[in-house]
Amino acid sequence: MTPTEVFMQQVIYGLSNGMIIALVALGYTMVYGIVELINFAHGDLFMLGGFFALTIVGALGAAGVLDIAHMGDHSNWLLLFGLVIAAGVFCGGLNVAIDRVVYKPMRKSPKLTQLVAAIGVSFIIVNLGLFWGGAPMEVFGGGNAAAASKDFPEILEGSNLLGEDSNIVLRLEDLAIFIVTIPLMIALTIFVKKTRLGRGMRATAQNPVAAKLMGIDTDRVISATFLIGGFLGGAASVMWSLYNNTISFQMGFRAGMDAFTAAVLGGIGSMPGAMLGGVLIGLIRAMSDQYIETRWTNVVVFGVLILILVFRPSGLLGLKQREKV
Amino acid sequence: MSALQRFSLFSRGQLVVLGLLAMVPLVDLFVPGVQLAAPMRNVIVFAILALGLNIVVGWTGLLHLGIAAFMAIGAYAFGILTCEIYPFQVGFWWGVILAGLIGAFAGWLLGAPTLRLRGDYLAIVTLGFGEIVQDALKNLEIITKGTQGINPLPAPTFPGFVMSAEHPFPWFYLYLGILAVIVFLCRNLEFSRLGRQLFAVREDELAARCMAISPDKAKLKAFAFGAALAAVAGALSASLLSSTGEPSNYDFQISILALCIVIVGGIGSITGVLVGAIVMVGLNNVVLPQATQALQRHGVDSTANVLSSPDNYKYMLFGLALVLMMRYRPDGIVYSRKAARK
Amino acid sequence: MLQFARLTTVLGSLAIAATAFAADSIKIISSLPRTGSANAQTTSMVNGIKMAIAEVGTINGATILYEDWDDASAQRGNWDPAVEAANADKAIADKSILAYIGTYNSGASKISMPKLNAAGLVMVSPANTAPNLTKPGFGEPNEPAVYRPSGKISYFRVVPTDDVQGAVAADFAKETGAKKVFVLNDREVYGKGVAGVFEKHAKEIGLEVVGTDGIDAKASNYKSVVTKIKQAGADLVYFGGTTQTNAGQLAKDIVTVGLKARLIVPDGCYEQAFIEAAGAKALEGRAFITFGGKEPKALTGKGKDFYENYKKAYGGEPEGYAVYGYESAKVVLTAMQNIAKAGGKLTRESVLAEVAKTKNFSGALGTWSFDANGDTTNRTMSVNTVKDGKFETVKVVE
Repeated sequence: MTPTEVFMQQVIYGLSNGMIIALVALGYTMVYGIVELINFAHGDLFMLGGFFALTIVGALGAAGVLDIAHMGDHSNWLLLFGLVIAAGVFCGGLNVAIDRVVYKPMRKSPKLTQLVAAIGVSFIIVNLGLFWGGAPMEVFGGGNAAAASKDFPEILEGSNLLGEDSNIVLRLEDLAIFIVTIPLMIALTIFVKKTRLGRGMRATAQNPVAAKLMGIDTDRVISATFLIGGFLGGAASVMWSLYNNTISFQMGFRAGMDAFTAAVLGGIGSMPGAMLGGVLIGLIRAMSDQYIETRWTNVVVFGVLILILVFRPSGLLGLKQREKV
Repeated sequence: MSALQRFSLFSRGQLVVLGLLAMVPLVDLFVPGVQLAAPMRNVIVFAILALGLNIVVGWTGLLHLGIAAFMAIGAYAFGILTCEIYPFQVGFWWGVILAGLIGAFAGWLLGAPTLRLRGDYLAIVTLGFGEIVQDALKNLEIITKGTQGINPLPAPTFPGFVMSAEHPFPWFYLYLGILAVIVFLCRNLEFSRLGRQLFAVREDELAARCMAISPDKAKLKAFAFGAALAAVAGALSASLLSSTGEPSNYDFQISILALCIVIVGGIGSITGVLVGAIVMVGLNNVVLPQATQALQRHGVDSTANVLSSPDNYKYMLFGLALVLMMRYRPDGIVYSRKAARK
Repeated sequence: MLQFARLTTVLGSLAIAATAFAADSIKIISSLPRTGSANAQTTSMVNGIKMAIAEVGTINGATILYEDWDDASAQRGNWDPAVEAANADKAIADKSILAYIGTYNSGASKISMPKLNAAGLVMVSPANTAPNLTKPGFGEPNEPAVYRPSGKISYFRVVPTDDVQGAVAADFAKETGAKKVFVLNDREVYGKGVAGVFEKHAKEIGLEVVGTDGIDAKASNYKSVVTKIKQAGADLVYFGGTTQTNAGQLAKDIVTVGLKARLIVPDGCYEQAFIEAAGAKALEGRAFITFGGKEPKALTGKGKDFYENYKKAYGGEPEGYAVYGYESAKVVLTAMQNIAKAGGKLTRESVLAEVAKTKNFSGALGTWSFDANGDTTNRTMSVNTVKDGKFETVKVVE
């Protein structure tokens, strides 16, 4: 491989990984923007989305609709979009339910109290993921090794689009990430900018009391935010499963941490910021793996983060906030 | 502040908790088959760690998600300064003191450029610093032995007492003594000029500035004090294990545990932090293991499937405990009127 | 304050309830990480241990009690040094415990070994492979003496150490025709150790090591790392790591990135979970797994019995880890039986002395003895690949 080819390849991987991080980061940043809660459980909710999607695949396989052993031979776009929506709805609904049961009753409690409750929820969800991994299904390895990583069957055909002789590898799954995430992000932007509910969200984010006084049903806005944030997390989990072909009950930790980092890097509460932050982190990781050493990659990522924040204390696209007096 | 508070060593709550801790070895002596003193040393270590975090989170109002990094720095500083494979070998006491100073310096080093950051931006910087320290310790093998960890490390020494694995009581009381000294120092800090500055910064930075308090300087001091205590906790933990353990033993989960101790116990309250350490570390290291072992003894199979093994419920119980405590005691177990109420 | 008082009462009563048991019994405990990602592996081991105990039944009429202790904690999700230390202390204090089976992580053994050694309690590890725990010259100058404060050897293991395994893997790499190798590790004690041995031996036998690096076991994928390996022109990748530290993902990414190289991994991956995590497709014909012993179904004599009994009891092929677990319990129990047969008294001292004397033990891993360091003399290594979703031995090195 020539140096240019290597660089191009790393850009492809960096962007693809970064887009997945960005999707998860959006869920963080939206919830933070509305209720100022660092939702520690978001990464783990994302993990459950992957388990839900694998369960659907397994059930379709058991029902004879899918031939799991040969799934990688043909691309199944219908299945991909179906899973994105199904996992999205599942995670969105679950996120709303968690908010109702756990966070809503303590909305007026100190912020740190809510943070610790979110940490607690994260532990509970990890445990649910562990149990889920023990489901007696073929795709979960018969449930014998609940804690082990699970193989996620290939949804798209895996040959190199640039030809088998090309040094650079570009596969359908690399493209699929953009095909799914970019429209989702555009739709989200339009929703927040143009619709009534979206305007309600922005108003609530700016000042919840004023928004309420203006007749906005802030409870509904908050639920909608948790729903959308969770939906994006669920969609991201399917993209992750498509891209990595592996899910494990502990995958939410690193995904959550990367996403949280991305959200802050971009400017917490800012949706374009979360997208930019996610892509940047993906790219930095790929470049550091290639040109430094992968064992230093975490140091590089967080070192860059700290440097950027020292010079731009509100993140890349965050608004500089005046201290309220 | 009453005159009584000013002139007594400890508050009533602190005295009660320290007194109860002092009676733990009695349980070992009078209840057959129970050993609480040995695992309780670890509770003391985490209490010190959380007291350090409390200065930053509770009193200064900064969210700190990387306190484990300073614990790691303390543990490794202690390891390098005392282990027989390095040339220093300064012994337990100098090891602990120097580890504390090195921790304070590290805290200052991280704090100086970043303390201008607001709330959650600072949180991610501390989180990132935690990851950086962990990976650096892993990768700088020439200095830290990488994943191997540094061992053996000296047990505490005190004239007239033997401290070893077989004699946990003197060891326990020594750690309790160190904890009492630290509680005393924290209590003095709380009512000192700096302590009041920290509270002022927490309540309103702008107003504090108007009162001629430099929030940056105050925050930096809080950061350094907190880091020093965390490093002392790291050193004590390393001595307890006779090893620094692996760098990954000081990961994000430890920072989270320390944060949970502070908030579950009662943010801002020294007594609260002590109680929080007993509850959280006790739950994690004593109650949950004992409970699952007891279930096994009563015929619960640990391997049949994922649902039948009691160990597989530990995450859930730990998480549920956090959620329920926050739901029904949002201000922590020990409520402090002076504590953060933003 | 009231809450606190109530909590201490609960805590105290729990501890009391937990320690009420019969005094005159033989007790064996194992200390393995049961919470979190290692659960799948340690469950196999515990199954093996339980089977060994069920086979022996009673010794001198006394039933053998077994307790499966967890050295991980919920909060860490992995082995917790404080819990391992507490387990060791607890085992030492409970005089009815005659043997300590563990640990899984070599790092954890570093914590409990000196404690148990001072107390004269025999410790048999079914999984630790770091050579410096028992052999001089592999770690610091003070190792392994630092783990033996009593001066006696009380720690034994039934698994061949990494210095054997890494070298076998390097020799095999050369046999496959590899010229340029890239060595990865998971930056944990086990993986780093075995990868280091592989690298050293590979250089000695004339393979070119084109790069080394340590991966992050929690990373989502290794496509960028594999691209770097591809650029380096490696035709073989050695990964010192386990299923738990993401060997499955690495195997997949080698395929996805189009790296035409074989992959060799150590016995931390010799389990069905590795095939399930990586997907059989990513492994067949291109991945090789070394294992300290013959594959269970190729065993003869007692090993064959084990294989048949295991299949009967658990309805599946025994995993590598199950064999190790079985063997470590069996060697302890056999020592106890020998003492009982000779009319001796079962004490910690006698059990330790008898285990140390183990010679020509015929078990599920073949016939072996403990050497002067407490290591198994079993040097039989098998190299396995994956065929039709199952492990298949391609080579046995005696």
